[in-house]
Amino acid sequence: MTGGGVPALRVEGLKKTYGNGLLALDGVSLEVEAGRFFGLLGPNGAGKTTLINSVVSLARPDSGKVTVFGKDAFAEYKEARRMIGVSPQEINLDKFLTVEESLLYHAGYYGVEKKKAKERAEELLERFALIDKRKARTSTLSGGMKRRVMFARALVHDPKVLFLDEPTAGVDVELRYSLWRYIRELNRGGMTILLTTHYLEEAEELCEEIALINGGRIAAQGTKDDLKEEYGARNVEEVYLRVVGHDVA
Amino acid sequence: MTLLESAFNRSFRTLLGREILRFVRVWTQTLIPPLLTSLLYVVVFGVALGGRIREVDGVPYLQYILPGVALMSLITGAYMNTSTSVFDAKRERYIDDILISPMSDAQIALAYTLGGTLRGLIVGVGVFVVGMPFAGASVVNPVMLLLIAVTVAFTFSALGAVVGVVAARIDHVTFMTNVVIQPLAFLGGVFYSADMLPPALRVATLFNPIFYMVDAARYATLRASDTNPYPTLAIVAALAALAFAGAWWAINRGPNLRY
Ligand SMILES: Nc1ncnc2c1ncn2[C@@H]1O[C@H](COP(=O)(O)OP(=O)(O)OP(=O)(O)O)[C@@H](O)[C@H]1O
Ligand SMILES: [Mg+2]
Repeated sequence: MTGGGVPALRVEGLKKTYGNGLLALDGVSLEVEAGRFFGLLGPNGAGKTTLINSVVSLARPDSGKVTVFGKDAFAEYKEARRMIGVSPQEINLDKFLTVEESLLYHAGYYGVEKKKAKERAEELLERFALIDKRKARTSTLSGGMKRRVMFARALVHDPKVLFLDEPTAGVDVELRYSLWRYIRELNRGGMTILLTTHYLEEAEELCEEIALINGGRIAAQGTKDDLKEEYGARNVEEVYLRVVGHDVA
Repeated sequence: MTLLESAFNRSFRTLLGREILRFVRVWTQTLIPPLLTSLLYVVVFGVALGGRIREVDGVPYLQYILPGVALMSLITGAYMNTSTSVFDAKRERYIDDILISPMSDAQIALAYTLGGTLRGLIVGVGVFVVGMPFAGASVVNPVMLLLIAVTVAFTFSALGAVVGVVAARIDHVTFMTNVVIQPLAFLGGVFYSADMLPPALRVATLFNPIFYMVDAARYATLRASDTNPYPTLAIVAALAALAFAGAWWAINRGPNLRY
């Protein structure tokens, strides 16, 4: 750990059991330094989405502590959540709103002043090539367009930490590369980014630091280079397979 | 910042604005049909049957039923608005965007509830105003009537929020309308005075919350009432508080909202 400064995200001993008795997080502890590009990798059902949801109280953890830039995610949820942007794994756009309204209403939910929200929405519509679609209802968009609206929505209140839960699933090559470019730029501008993905080359390309989660536990964590060295691997994919890939042919 | 300012902050106002935008955007489904249905009641029960039942409690029949008919559409409008809005938001998960925002659960519950309250009021007032020339009535105590209307709409809107959260399928939402709310409204003394009922049914009516609401509305409009209005008003206010507590619970702890 390089230490110094408050971490963007600090998770300590997080446990989550779902209503049906399934233990999805089994004491997860994790620290993401401010300004990092952080990858959270793991097989289907490992607990990645549950971890993200627990931070924003969409899942209710049984126990554990979460802080976002030093703010307790539960006791000081207003301050904590204002700093977080989430682009969820599943599309969840309000079907009664147009593309532009999706951004403006979201900004409003986060308390962003109208004028500022308008400016920011304009920039993001431009950025994600959604200007032509601004007046279209979200339900009339293609899957990739919906994804783009969700990225823009996650960013419109200027979060300090961005959670991207499988942002590139079902997205065409061009959008993938332009998204990579954009989030890298945001990261260089100081935004902390936590990305989950099943495309290991994506993690290889973007992330400085990686945590591998398996069966609700952190199985390995470190910078990309440290992990490769530790597991004698040439790339992230090999690290991944060594850590969690026992039953992968 | 005062408590009031922080409770009704921009986040809250935005969600309330969204709720209003929703029912206005689909006004042909949310505002027009209840007006038409209620006008049919006025025509069928007031104009056609009114010749046979000339007066109830010394009041012309159409005048007698109008406050209750308006209240029935207010109740269904408020309930339907919030239950379907919350249910849709939950089913398509766009409620997540609101649940993870810096809004408190009480603010979320209140914004949804007030959205439905407003829709109920628009429909209820609409029916009343449209029916008034036919009934030839005037309102004896408009302030009390408005107060009752707001409280009743609020109650059923909050109830709608609870059902919207708890319902696993859309039929649960409509079940409540068809099997609970509509029958209670019909048996709530809209079309007759409780005195006209046989004793057993009259006693049963006393357990119907809508009976008190209709009765209070009629009292405020005509002062022709089955019961003294002040205990009734207290009951209506208590039900509103209870329903809102339910809505708050639903947003905070309700099944399938936060896992
Ligand atoms: N609402 C829920 N109720 C019960 N179990 C759940 C619920 N959501 C997730 N789970 C279970 O919790 C475990 C972790 O799920 P989670 O969605 O966090 O995994 P994930 O790492 O995001 O997987 P994926 O890569 O497939 O998105 C899984 O076993 C899943 O079946
Ligand atoms: Mg997931």
